[in-house]
Amino acid sequence: MSSQPPPPDVDADPNPTETISRLLQHYLALLDEYTALRSTLNTLQTRVFQSLARANFAAERGVRRYGQDYYDERMQASRRVGISFSSTAEGGEWEEEDGVGGGPVFTFRVCPASGPKAGPSSGGDKDDREETGSEGGRGPTSIDDAKDLSGSEETKLESTEDDGRGNETKKQPLLPDDLPADDADHKQSSSSSSRKKAADPLRWFGILTPLPLRQAQGHAIQAVEDVIPRLATLSVEMGLVELEVRRARKRRAKAEKAEERKKLAELENWMDKVDVGA
Amino acid sequence: MASQTDFRDRQFLAVIGDEDSVTGLLLAGIGHVTPPPDNQKNFLVVDNKTDTAAIEAAFERYTTERKDIGIVLINQHIADKIRHRVDTYTQAFPTVLEIPSKDHPYDPEKDSVLRRVRRLFGE
Repeated sequence: MSSQPPPPDVDADPNPTETISRLLQHYLALLDEYTALRSTLNTLQTRVFQSLARANFAAERGVRRYGQDYYDERMQASRRVGISFSSTAEGGEWEEEDGVGGGPVFTFRVCPASGPKAGPSSGGDKDDREETGSEGGRGPTSIDDAKDLSGSEETKLESTEDDGRGNETKKQPLLPDDLPADDADHKQSSSSSSRKKAADPLRWFGILTPLPLRQAQGHAIQAVEDVIPRLATLSVEMGLVELEVRRARKRRAKAEKAEERKKLAELENWMDKVDVGA
Repeated sequence: MASQTDFRDRQFLAVIGDEDSVTGLLLAGIGHVTPPPDNQKNFLVVDNKTDTAAIEAAFERYTTERKDIGIVLINQHIADKIRHRVDTYTQAFPTVLEIPSKDHPYDPEKDSVLRRVRRLFGE
C-alpha cells in the first residue's frame, strides 16, 4: 500500500500524457489492492457460511435454523461506520493518513459503537441513539476518534468476554490516552460492557450458543471491521481517480485540438505569404 | 464532491442478501431497527419469493431516502436482478459493495467496480 505512487496534480502538470500515465499507475495500484481484498472477503464469507452450516447441522432439537426467525426486532447496531475526510493539500499533494501512502480522500472505518453521544441526527432514530448513548451513540467521524474508540472498546472486550473472534482478533496496543480517567469511568465501562454482553447478537440464538456460530461471528466481525471498510474506501477513491483521468483526457484532447488549429493557422499564413510573393 | 454533512451522519451498514449472508453480518453487530413507529430495518432478507420490486425499493431506500447509511452491501446474485439500478448508481455515499453469497460465488465480471475499470480502459 505504501508503495503506491502519489496521484499527480492535473492542473499544474504541463504534460497531460504523463499526468494520465501517473494517474493510471495509481489507479492500478488501487485496483490491485481492491482485488486482493476481494479475495480476502470471499475467504471470510466462505468461512462464515461454513460455520453457519455446521451450526445448523449440529443444532439442538427445537432449533430449526439459525436465521431470521431468531432476529431481535429491537436490535441496535453495535458496530457502526465512521467516515473521515482528508482534504487535498495545496498543489495537489494528497495527505497521508493512518500510515497509508497517498491516502484516500474519504476513509471508511467500522468499529464498535462506543463513546459519548454527539452530533446531529438525520434519521428518525434520534431518541434511540440517545438511549444507547452510554455504550455508543454514533460512530467515529475521524480517524483519531475511531482509533480511540476501537482501542478502548477492545480493551473492554478483552477483559469481559470473548466475542467470538478468538485468536483472530487484532489487539491494538493500549495507549495511555485511551485509559479511563477515573473510577467513575471504570464503573461506567463495566456497566456498558455488561450491557454490551446483553446486546451481543449471539444472545438472540440462546444462552448456550454452539461453537460454530461463535466462529461465524468471529469471521463476520473480521470482514466487517477489516475488509469491508477498506473496500468501500477503495471504491470511492477509485471513482475519484476515474474522474481525474477523464478530466485529464479531456484536457489533453483540447490541447491537441488547439495545437492543430495553431499549426493550421501558421500554414495558412505561410500559404498567404507565398501567394503574395508569387 | 460530497459535503461533510453528507457523510457525517452515515453510521450504519445496510445489507440486502440471502438469509445466511444477512445472519452472518447481523452476528457482527451491524443490524439496527429504528424505534417505533418507523421500525425501519437496515437489512432485507431476500428469498425465492421476494419480488424484484421489493429489492429495488430496498435499494432505493438505503441509497437515496435514508441519510444514515454509509455502506450498502448486496449479494451479487441479487444485484444482478436490479443490475440497471446498481450500475447507474454513481454516488459516493452510501457506497455500494457487492458481496458473494453461499450459493453464488463472487464473479469479477459482474462486479460494478470492475465494470467501471473496464469502462475506463475502453473495453
